[in-house]
Amino acid sequence: MMTSKAKSRLLFTILVAAVALPSRALAHLVNTGMGPVYDGIGHLLLTPEDLVPVLALSCYCGLRGARAGRWAMFLLPAAWCLGGFVGLRLDLESTLPIAALSFLLLGGLVAADARLPVQMIVPLTAAVGIVHGVLNGLILKTGPGAPAILGIMGALFVIVTLLSAFVVSLERSWPRIAVRVAGSWVAACGILMIAWYFSGQVS
Amino acid sequence: MHRLAFYLIFLFFLGAPYPVLAHESQPGTVEIEEIGDDRFKIVWRAPIYYNKPHPARLELPDNWQTLGQPTERRRASDIVFERVISTGQQGLNGSILRFPGLETTITDVYVRVKRLDGSQATNVVRPTKPWTELRGERSWHETSREYLFLGFHHILLGIDHLLFVLGLLLIVKGRMMLIKTITSFTIAHSITLGIATLGYAQAPLPPLNAAIALSILFLGPEIVRVKRGQTSLTIRYPWLIAFGFGLLHGFGFASGLSTTGMPRAELPWALLWFNVGVELGQLLFVFVALGLVWAFRILQVHWPRWVLWLPGYTVGSLGAYWTIQRTVMLIRGL
Repeated sequence: MMTSKAKSRLLFTILVAAVALPSRALAHLVNTGMGPVYDGIGHLLLTPEDLVPVLALSCYCGLRGARAGRWAMFLLPAAWCLGGFVGLRLDLESTLPIAALSFLLLGGLVAADARLPVQMIVPLTAAVGIVHGVLNGLILKTGPGAPAILGIMGALFVIVTLLSAFVVSLERSWPRIAVRVAGSWVAACGILMIAWYFSGQVS
Repeated sequence: MHRLAFYLIFLFFLGAPYPVLAHESQPGTVEIEEIGDDRFKIVWRAPIYYNKPHPARLELPDNWQTLGQPTERRRASDIVFERVISTGQQGLNGSILRFPGLETTITDVYVRVKRLDGSQATNVVRPTKPWTELRGERSWHETSREYLFLGFHHILLGIDHLLFVLGLLLIVKGRMMLIKTITSFTIAHSITLGIATLGYAQAPLPPLNAAIALSILFLGPEIVRVKRGQTSLTIRYPWLIAFGFGLLHGFGFASGLSTTGMPRAELPWALLWFNVGVELGQLLFVFVALGLVWAFRILQVHWPRWVLWLPGYTVGSLGAYWTIQRTVMLIRGL
């Protein structure tokens, strides 16, 4: 018999996965009508497979303290930008479930509140930034291109800075537990997405 | 050293490979006026877009027939296309106007229909959906939502207005003074936005844009004074400066709200919701800026000395760049 907490977690997982999965297949380009920089910001905010890992990484760095937060706020946008510009010049199609792996890895780290040293958080952040940046570049090269990457970079800086600072500022234990619960949902979504990927339902 | 920083930033904007422009989002308008049985006069004003003819064109429905010779007039701020058409038996309602090319721009187009029976209607076409279906009058909430989004978009595209607000944030000390200054700016630009929209006063765009740029340039040295621990009238009473320059910025906001041919009944709603949209965008910007300052403190970010001087010099240098650029444009246009 499922508890109500488990039921709500399953429902949330299915909802997020349902939103996240089809958008990869469509590789949508967002037109805000406000120029390519805002198109880039809109792309990040409306693409769960990019946004959720960013939120999870910000939460994780926040849980790990101000130093990790400082690294993430500068490194993630820079790595994303680098990856984005590489992606704009590449001509390949990704078939790997990158978003699912990011969900699982970053969600898992948040849920476990894994005590990784900053020396490991730095390359992890850079890797997440470069990989997602390359994927963004591949999508955006047929649309708004380089200015959109700059828009994404700006939005990333704001999101990571605000969210990691917010998590750092949580002094009581229960809000930190709530953050970890959210992380476990993200990881659960990742597992579901990977299962779907290997069952061949989603390419 | 500080002077060198100013010159370097100024030269960066001057030599930038892309145009460092504040928004040039003058709206386009299409006026459709009934002049007889199934006959309409169509006037399409395509704004000049970054000093070039606008990339969007007006595509009429296939069943409309052009009567006589269409005309085209180039003016300082737009190109005016005029023609008379016959809609045939089908009439106007349900017809679709398309604007191919609009999706690559940041321009909104107001489509206004005026009928012989005195009824009027306005549609706003956005780059996200570059077509509109002509129909009867719309509900007030549809109109309100459209103008709210227009105001919100207008402020987010108005880098010069946002830079001025950033300059104010960098000068102001204390929460009460911040509330006073932002409120003062809001009241001032709402006054002139209202005056300009209701047609009581107009400010010609080229000198207005140059004056807005000058208001940003004015704040640059004041920010540097604050950093040096000096004081001035602006630093003591920032709300006063916010009010004065806010009056100018209001005329600038009005340029994003074309009321030509707008039905009288729609005017108050348009003005109210456009202004609400502008305020929401401005508040979003202020909250994000204040949120970042708070986050830097929580994350214990210790900026190098030169970074702390950067906002002041960026505001000043961009203000100087725009002032010179817009003054040159103003002189050329005389």
